[in-house]
Formats: sequence, structure tokens, C-alpha cells
Amino acid sequence: MPKLTINGKEIEVPAGTNLIEAARLAGVEVPHYCYHPGLSIAGQCRLCMVDIDKVPRPQIGCNTLAADGMVVQTETDRVKDTRRSIMEFHLINHPLDCPVCDQAGECWLQIYYMKHGLYDPRMTDEKVHKPKALPIGPRVMLDAERCILCSRCVRFCDEITGTGELGIFQRGDHSEIGLFPGRALENKYSGNVIDICPVGALTDRDFRFQVRVWYLDSAKSVCNGCARGCNTEVHTSQRRPHHNQGRRIARLKPRLNPEVNRWWLCDEGRYGFGWIDDDTRLVAPARREAGALVETAWDDALGRLRSALGRYRPEEIGVIASPQMSNEDLYALRRLLDDLEIQSRDFRVPPREPGDEDSLLIRADKNPNTRGAELAGLAPGSGGLDTVGILRAAAEKKLKLLWIFHHDLLVSGLPEADVAAALSGAEMVVFQGPTAGKTSAAAHLVLPSAAYVERDGTFTNFQGRVQRFRTAVPPLGQALPDWEIVARLARALGAGGPIGQAERAEQVFTALAGAVPAFQEITYRALGDLGLLVRA
Amino acid sequence: MPDAKRPEFTAEQLAEVQRLQGLYPDKRGALLPVLHLAQDTFGYVSLEVEVYVAGLFGLSPAHVHEVVTFYTLFFQQPKGRHVVAVCHTLSCHLMGAKGIVEHLKDKLGIDVGETTADGKTTLLTVECLCACEGAPMMQVDDRYEVNLTPDKVDRILAGLA
Amino acid sequence: MAEKVFTRNFGIANSHTLPVYRERGGYAGWEKAKGMEPAAITEEVKKANLRGLGGAGFPTGVKWGFIPKGSTTPKYLVVNADEGEPGTFKDRYLLEQDPHALIEGMLIAARAIDSHLGFVYIRGEYVQPWRIFSGAVREAYEAGLLGKNIQGSGFDFDVVIHRGAGAYICGEETGLLSSLEGKKGWPKIKPPFPAVKGAFGQPTIVNNVETLAAVPHIVNRGGEWFAGLGTKAQGGTRVYSVSGHVVRPGLVEAPVSITLRSLIYDECGGIPNGRTLKAVVPGGSSAAILTPDEIDIPMDVDGPKSKGSMIGSAGVIVMDDTVSIPEALMVVARFYAHESCGQCTPCRESTGWIYKMAHRIVDGHGRKEDLDTILDVAKRGAGTTICAFYDGAVGPYISYIEKFREEFEALIRSGSGATPPEPTVHGSADA
Repeated sequence: MPKLTINGKEIEVPAGTNLIEAARLAGVEVPHYCYHPGLSIAGQCRLCMVDIDKVPRPQIGCNTLAADGMVVQTETDRVKDTRRSIMEFHLINHPLDCPVCDQAGECWLQIYYMKHGLYDPRMTDEKVHKPKALPIGPRVMLDAERCILCSRCVRFCDEITGTGELGIFQRGDHSEIGLFPGRALENKYSGNVIDICPVGALTDRDFRFQVRVWYLDSAKSVCNGCARGCNTEVHTSQRRPHHNQGRRIARLKPRLNPEVNRWWLCDEGRYGFGWIDDDTRLVAPARREAGALVETAWDDALGRLRSALGRYRPEEIGVIASPQMSNEDLYALRRLLDDLEIQSRDFRVPPREPGDEDSLLIRADKNPNTRGAELAGLAPGSGGLDTVGILRAAAEKKLKLLWIFHHDLLVSGLPEADVAAALSGAEMVVFQGPTAGKTSAAAHLVLPSAAYVERDGTFTNFQGRVQRFRTAVPPLGQALPDWEIVARLARALGAGGPIGQAERAEQVFTALAGAVPAFQEITYRALGDLGLLVRA
Repeated sequence: MPDAKRPEFTAEQLAEVQRLQGLYPDKRGALLPVLHLAQDTFGYVSLEVEVYVAGLFGLSPAHVHEVVTFYTLFFQQPKGRHVVAVCHTLSCHLMGAKGIVEHLKDKLGIDVGETTADGKTTLLTVECLCACEGAPMMQVDDRYEVNLTPDKVDRILAGLA
Repeated sequence: MAEKVFTRNFGIANSHTLPVYRERGGYAGWEKAKGMEPAAITEEVKKANLRGLGGAGFPTGVKWGFIPKGSTTPKYLVVNADEGEPGTFKDRYLLEQDPHALIEGMLIAARAIDSHLGFVYIRGEYVQPWRIFSGAVREAYEAGLLGKNIQGSGFDFDVVIHRGAGAYICGEETGLLSSLEGKKGWPKIKPPFPAVKGAFGQPTIVNNVETLAAVPHIVNRGGEWFAGLGTKAQGGTRVYSVSGHVVRPGLVEAPVSITLRSLIYDECGGIPNGRTLKAVVPGGSSAAILTPDEIDIPMDVDGPKSKGSMIGSAGVIVMDDTVSIPEALMVVARFYAHESCGQCTPCRESTGWIYKMAHRIVDGHGRKEDLDTILDVAKRGAGTTICAFYDGAVGPYISYIEKFREEFEALIRSGSGATPPEPTVHGSADA
């Protein structure tokens, strides 16, 4: 492990560490554009220059490996002056688009100019003109004038997705990022080039002109699109409700997790947040009255469910939970079902189409918490029925109360006729979930769930990694987290215990960790930002 | 008839492509030679030719397009039967390249970068061809023509088929 | 009359053919080298004080020594025949008139560095030289001088000829390697250096045509002999390309001790038409310009350097007193703007901008701050780029302006002055 000195501070780093990373470990920022830890070294931007003792000229940090005894200075006058020069070179042909550019506020030309530039511009000749506002795919907008030709996007498409759509054509100051004429950036990870583009050359079509980034709030979360559980940041617009068409969720960004998704996020996950602020969200409890669903209060709704649970025998009740629910939701439900001795319970519903999978991030299982559902004990209990059995029993009127979580069963992989028969066969159908659908429309009682971004909780990904997601916005309308709906129900049933007393998701998790061996010794604090694997 | 819009090499040419690819430790090394072959065959390197050649190398078309747009000898549009490329770098400039260019523009009735309406001649200015001892000079197709005067230029043009 | 080494076969009928080359003593160096220890060959080249003749002037024997010892991976010998430095034309003549000298030099160099595959990268515009050199290679194969088990020596060596497609930057050794690999001619970031990781990721030595053409003579007659022909800084003769305002433009082979004054006035007949010398470029357009009081220097690797310039490719461009230096700057700036590969930011962005400013000055729309802007931008960018292309651009720019500042200022003063001008033509348009 080489030991080197950076700005007077001695530090030991793993062999093979470049000076940008070594400096990062020493708490020192070396500004850079083309370098990205997930991509090959380009050495093109020339911004990451540092001074190294006994070396006559500043060297680029990205391509210099830390060596034993190396003495590095990142803040000499010469380095500062070089950075100022390199900033000027970058801005010679850059269009002054800031007022109309989405990148403003998170643009590395702006940031580094303010930190390392601050010179008076003297380029008064005509700048080179290139294509602007050119959609290059369903997700990505290109402005070739703004491009600083760092080549990160080209390297991403070559090295990460292997699709090679992007290139740098021509030469000199006419060099231009682009696609092969007539083609599109259509790989399943196209949105990542927007993240890695340091400037406003590649911007998000979905986010275009919606809201300025300095009005955004951020919460750390986990994507709920498949069993990978890519780590995300949820960016919300809560300060300017008249922007972003009033939608609260503005965009999702990937969050670095070396064990799960590294720096990347698939497009399906990145753009899969529209449902959260959609009109189809269930925002209030509802009960069926004279053939239609009418809004009602939580007390009334839960009261009805409580009586139903008391009225029917355990073997007349079937519960179809969902791997969309969090560990807390599932454990709270399992405790309730155990207390009520309800054995017919399951969480597996086949999807309408088989899910796509690849060798990068995408998993065929489009649920974030299948492992969690397995570990929480929501498979059928002794003598209990599984999903198909539950539905058949309901159709045969042997099962009277059907409690469905999240799944729109009528548009799943189950035969629609079988589901319809079950829904009409059961005396009472309770639908609990965030979004209205065909199944909720057929229910007698509808309980609105908070979306995962509207509460705290954890998912367990396919690797067995338990990961926290955190509240980004308050629940819409009167929606509540599933675990909280179950807790209120438990209290109404007179059940004490940790579930009935829980006021925060963490308390439910603590109970879960105490009861399920796989989660032993895992706490929210220990999970941190990157999660932990369940015990074998 | 080789068609740049529907390009296809003959079996013989494909064998040549294979041979060229085999000369290099990585077959991608044969890209420039094969692009030269393609341009000689199809007249210019159209987008269709780029896709075709990309297929022969297992490269994305974008990366072939990068190469074609980077080098000046690959024409992306049809060129004249003859290409007249006048050097205008330092020695040729000192020895009167500008006058030669003006003379050619006048004689051919086109601007630099254009092709005569009859498709016969494309006029270009280019950077140093390294025949400075014969400045001012130009390259006509495969040949260097040196020590140019307007009269000599006229004679050369007259000799073009 | 000093002995001719490189040009000894020039002007001889059919000098490019194998029989004539052999008749005049060709391949005797290879005869000797094939029985020598590789290290001994390199040692001889070091003794010869042979410097790279393509432009960088690096000691050739030292370069060969950079190949990692005991390396068992394939090593490549790459010949840089991408002659492109404005003012230089010697390699073109060598390829056409003495191609076998290059082949013989390659054979010996290959033996020295343990290479069995050589690539000759010839610029795409050199069609005639390519045809002639290809013919010589065919002859060599037919005579068993190339291929497997050359003349029973047990040594294999194949030569692949690779045509470029029009890009000056492919004369930069790692730009050439990228182009050889079938990519854009983007120079590679260093380290690693080509001797460690070059063409196709393998140890590679890149040498200029003329440099390799010296090798057979060095092996034949000894490094000491070659060293003795030159100066302390550099051994041998070299071939100077002289063009511009001289009576007899063309190639001059001379010991490297020859002065620039002697080249211009003795060898090339001086300035024609009764004009006087105003300025001269000593080493290709990438070399800083020299004034008439700076030409009493030996034309070796140290001479022009002592005046803040360089010998580079030994392309001498002579300018008489009719020349507008601002116009010369504009032409040179246009060249570098057109040839910048675009890979790294300082060169890509500022070569175009400097050309625009130079063009504006010549057009009569210069502003008084332009000169200091060009100088400052040039000085800030020097040394920050991936390769030396940019330094080759701005070194000259700085010299043109600093040595002829008054002429620039006069042109600016006589220009349009106050009102902002119309946008000028940019990029590679004709002036």
C-alpha cells in the first residue's frame, strides 16, 4: 500500500489508486471533467493537474498512480494558475446558455469557474456553432455546442452498455458528439449519460424546463422497479409547486453503491416515478355503497375491516400480500395474521409478461422485496392456501374475505376470469395499495397506501441486501404506510405488542430484527446508506 | 455496378478484406485500408458504406463514422472524376498558392470545396503535401503537380479526361 | 565535398530497385547485423549519436533500449512515413529513390529490438511513393530478404504497409499508433510509453524513415564513424529540406555542423530577385522563426535550440522582405487549427480561436489587445496538452509576434479600429 503525502498530509492508499482518488481519500478535491471512476482513463480535459515533487511540470492526476514517497501539492500557485487557464480553454466556445440551460445550478463549468476561474473573458470572436436542442433518443436531449468533449458519454456507451451509439466526429474545434446519422440512443441505460455529462450538453427530456435544480430537495432511496434495488436519490419539487406541473417528484438519480448498482440506474427505474403523482393515486379510504365507491374516514374503514376479521373464521380469510411492500409492512402484516391465525396467505402473483433481465442491472423479478416477503414469513402457513388456492376458494365461496395488497390481480399473469370469479365470489374484497386499478374498482373497501417515497422503510434485494429508503415527500392525501394501517388495525383489535405500539417504521424493523434470524443485529443505523446483507 | 447506396464487396474483395484483417494483431487495424478499398470501389464513403464496413469489423457504425469524418481523404459525398487539391500552407503560400487557387476557381467556375456541374472536377485546398521544393503545387488525383503557373495549370486541366 | 550517406543513391537510374541497390553495396549492413548480438547493434547506434530525424531528435539508440528486457510478448517496429511537417519533403524522396535503404534499416532495427513484425505508415497523399515502396517490399520478399528465416539466419521479419488517410497528427508517434489500430489519429496519454505499451498494446519502437535509413551505414562502417561526421550534440549528416525564397529549393545533405547561413546562401543560392532575408524557419513550421542575425548556428539538435527554436524535421523555409509576417502567422495558425485532432481541450479550443484572431488582424480588423491575448493564451496552454502538437503550434506563434511585433502593431493600427467587425470565417476555410 503506497504511502504518499498530499498537501502535507501523509496517507496510505491501496495500490493502483490514482491521484484524484488518493486526494479524495485525503479529503482534498482535485477538479476534473473527463475522469470517472467507473470508466476508462481519457486524460483529455487537462483540469486535474497537480504538482508532484521532483517533476518539472504539473501532471494530470487521473493517469498518475500513487507511489510510495510521492509528494503531491494540489494548491500551489502554479496549479491554481493552470486550472484557471484550463477553465478559460473550456469556455472559449461554450455558449452562454445558462439562463435557458437545465444544468444551471449543478453545472461543473459554473462550479469550477467560480472556484478556479474567475477571470475576465476575452474571447470576442464568433464561437463555433453546432447542433442544439437535438433529441438523440427518447430520454436524452443533445446540445452539441455546450459539449466540452470530455468523452464520458462515449466511453459509457462503449464500456458499460457495450452499445457504442455515440462518437466524437470530425476534429479540432469542429469536433462534435453525436450519433451515427439516423440512429438513436436507445439502450436501456441511456439516462446515465445525463448524469455523467458534467455540463448541459446531454440533458433529460423528461426533466427539461420543469424546475430549477436549486428548488429541489433530495432524499436517499432505493428503486422499487426490480429486485436489484438500485440505490437512488429522489429529487422533489416542494418549494415551487407551480413548477413541474405541480408534480412533487421531479426526477430520480442513481446513488453510488459499489455492491449493488455502482453509479448506474436503468431507464425503466429512472423514469418509473410518474405513478407517484398521478391522478390514479388512491388518496382516501373508500367503501362500496349502492354499487359505487364513496370516500370515508379511516376510523370507519378500519372499523369495517376489524368487524370483518372478527366475523369470519380464520380459514374463511385469504390474504395476498405483495413483494412491493417493505420489510416493515410485511412483518407487521405477518404478526397480525399470526395473531389472527390466518394461514391462507401468499405474496406471489405471476406477472403479465415475463420480465426482461440483463447482465448489468436489470432483474426479471420486477418487485423490490421478494426476498423480504420470503423472509418475513408470508408464504402459506400450515394448512393454508397459496394465491391460486385462495382465489379458487373465494370463487367457490369457501373463502369470504379477500384482502389484496398492491396487486392489480385482474391485469396480472393470473387468468382474468379466475380473478373475476374470485372477486365476485368473495363476500368482502379489501384492496390496500397506492394506486387505483381494475381490482381496486371491484373492491368493497379500499385502503390507500403511501408510496415508498412518502415514508421510511427497507427492501431486501435479490442478493439479500437490506437497504433503507427514506421519506422524500409526505403521503398524498390521507394515504398511510402499509405497516401503519396494520398497526392501527392491530390496536383496534386490542392487540398490543410492538406492532400495535409502533409509531415509526424503525420500531417495526426493530421488532422484525428481533424475531427473524436473518435480520439479527441489523439496525437502521447499521444499514447506513449502503445497506447490509442478511445473515446466511 | 458498385453502388455507394447499396454497397457490397465481391467475393474477391471480401477475401482481400479478410487477408488485410489478418495482417494486423487486431483486425480493426485493417479499417483504414478497407475504407480506402471501399472508396475506390464505390466512389465515396456514404453512410451506407460506413454501415457495411462496420459490419465487416463488428464495430458500431458510430465508430466507423468517427474515422471517416476525422481523415480528410475520405469523401462523404460524391466527388468529381478528378480531385484537384491545392496546397496552401506556408511554403506554397509564400510562392503564390493564393493566385493558383483564384485561377482555378475562375477556370473551373466553382468555389473551393465544390464540384463542377458536369461532375468532372472537385476543387479543394489542403494543408502541406510536403512538396515544398516545387511550390506552389497541387495534387491531381494520385499525382503531384509542382512549380505551378496559371499556364501550367491550364495545360494540366486540359489533359484531364 | 562532404560524403553523401542518405542521398548516395539519388539520381542513379533505377536506384529504387533491388539489383541496383545491391550493386551499390546495399544489404551489406544487414549481412553484418544478422550475425551480431542485438545489444551490440543498439550499442553501435548509440555510439553513432544518431538522433531521431522526424522532428523530436531523441537519441535513437537510447529509444531502442527502452524495450523492456526479457519481454516475451510481440514487439513491433513502426516506421513513421507520415511526413507532414510543413517545409519537409526528404522522406518522400527516400521512399521513391532509395526504398531498400529503409527496408535494410528496418531489418537491422528489428534484429536489435527483437521485432518480427514491422509496419510502415505512409501518409495517404503519398501515392507514388507508396507504389514504389510497395514494389521494393515485394522485391525483398521475393529475394528472401523479408519473411520467414531470412537468408537462413533464423530471423523472421514481416512488413505491413499501411496507408494513412490525411491527418498531420498521425505523424505524432502515438497518434500514428492509434491510426494504425484503425481508430482516429488521437495521440495516447503517456505513460505508458510506446516502448512499454504501444501498437495493439505491445512494446513498440517508432522511428522516422530517414533515421532508419542511417542504420545500415552505421552498422557497416561503425557508430564512431557516423558520430564523427557531425557535432558533439549529434552524429552524422542529415537531409535538409529547403524551400521558400531561395534560388535553388530542394534537398541538401550535409553534416549537421553546417550553418543555416551556409545552407541558405552557399547550398541554395541565397535570396532571388535581389531581395533580402527577412526571416527563416529552421525546422519545419513547428519551429520558432529566426531573424537574419540568428542564422550563424550549426543545424544540429542544439544549434537552433540556442536561439529558442529547434531543428525539428530540418525543414527550412526562407522568407524574403516581401513577406507579411502577420500573413505568415495566419497561414500557420490555419494549418494548426485544421490539423488539431480535438482530443484535449487547450489545443482543440485555442488553435481555432488563435486562427480567428490572426485572420482578423490580416483582414484589417485587429484589435490592440489581440497580440497580448494570443501570446498569453499560447503561453498558458504550452505544456498542458496530451502531445507536443500544441507546443509546436504556439512556440512559432510566440516567436512571430515577439520578433515582429512592430509589423503586427502597424497592421492593427491601420485597420478598421473601433467598431466590432463582422464575424469572420472560421475553421478550415480558405483565406
